Amino acid sequence: MILGNYLAVAALFSLGLYAVLSRRNLIKIVMGLSLMESSTYLLLVSLAYRRRSTAPVLLNPPKGQTESGLAHGNVADPVLQNFCLTAIVIGVAITAVFLTVAVRAAQHYDSVDADDLRALRG
Amino acid sequence: MTDRDEALHRPWLAAGLAGGVAALLAVAFFRVHRDDAPLPAVAHRALDLALPAWKTTEPVNEIVYGTRAFDTFGETFLLFAAVVAVTVLARGREPRHEYVGEASAAQDEQARVDPKRPPGSVRARAAEQAEESDASPVRPADRARLGTPGPEVAVEMTVVVRIAARVAVVVLAVAGVYLAAWGYSPGGGFPAGAVLSGVAVLLYAALGYGAVRRMVRPALMEALEVAGAMAIVLIELLGLVLKGSFTANWVPLAPVGTIRSGGVLQLFSGAELVEVGTGLTIAIFALLGMRHDWSPEQ
Repeated sequence: MILGNYLAVAALFSLGLYAVLSRRNLIKIVMGLSLMESSTYLLLVSLAYRRRSTAPVLLNPPKGQTESGLAHGNVADPVLQNFCLTAIVIGVAITAVFLTVAVRAAQHYDSVDADDLRALRG
Repeated sequence: MTDRDEALHRPWLAAGLAGGVAALLAVAFFRVHRDDAPLPAVAHRALDLALPAWKTTEPVNEIVYGTRAFDTFGETFLLFAAVVAVTVLARGREPRHEYVGEASAAQDEQARVDPKRPPGSVRARAAEQAEESDASPVRPADRARLGTPGPEVAVEMTVVVRIAARVAVVVLAVAGVYLAAWGYSPGGGFPAGAVLSGVAVLLYAALGYGAVRRMVRPALMEALEVAGAMAIVLIELLGLVLKGSFTANWVPLAPVGTIRSGGVLQLFSGAELVEVGTGLTIAIFALLGMRHDWSPEQ
């Protein structure tokens, strides 16, 4: 049942958000952001899913069907699969940026506690 | 000042906000289409175009490098920007000092701000220097007799992991290249690039930096990444010059099911393989190899 996937997305996203809002450890905040990011992957592939569908590949059609006939058959949504694919690769790079900032902050402040990053307060 | 031992920052407020978002999302998702809904028009368009217009049997490739090529182009440069950000943030003073004058600028600033104390976090820098001056070479773990305890230094892992990694790396590398060269149909440079950067990271984790040093060098990786990005710009610009559209196909289409099928999709996919593979590798290794920069200690 696809609704279960959607509810899992809501739960994962909110867990990530809770971590970002409540944790003070920078690494744990990045982990929370990654969790929120993963929930979007689950949402995209769940939105692409169709019951009893095949992968959107126009190859080896069953007997009596043509390849272009497959395009009008019951297939999963290729557009959302593409979104998911790109989101994963970009997500890895963005997580690397977050972690780099966390390491630099830790070097400068000798702490990974977000509460210690107060230099702008004067 | 807040309590230093407090691990959580206002957990009840955060729980309330996160719970509210969860409830809103759950309500919204009850209205989202279910798994028996018809495909949207944009998906049908991609499925209809794949075979006649691009001679590819994989509509996802047609979308990534054809219908949504301009978006993929933008996303590629988002990745590029992220890699540049990591490289700049992770840059140490040693390999590129004096490149734009940070080191000498920092020395003046350091002397002004804090004339007595040495720059940087004293303990961490002392540890880094001790590592650097450690003259005893690390003995390759492969030379150790079987049955002896695991390596003491965290350069290589145990014999089980080393053998498993050596087997897995071959399978992964072949699968990665196969994904781009063939798969269901040629294309797939985006995920293949991620798989190949995974190969480098796996080798690093199991066997230490020595195993990947010859390939994973900043000079080589950065040159390859820029070459991949330039190739993507060139491929798309040629479409504009020759066919009047930035994302148009200008390569003669080969028959369906051959390695050159898909026209410009294949070229774009190949360039994307280089761009993503090197980009992720640069970002990960820049992060792994981060040292202290020139900034004064707070």
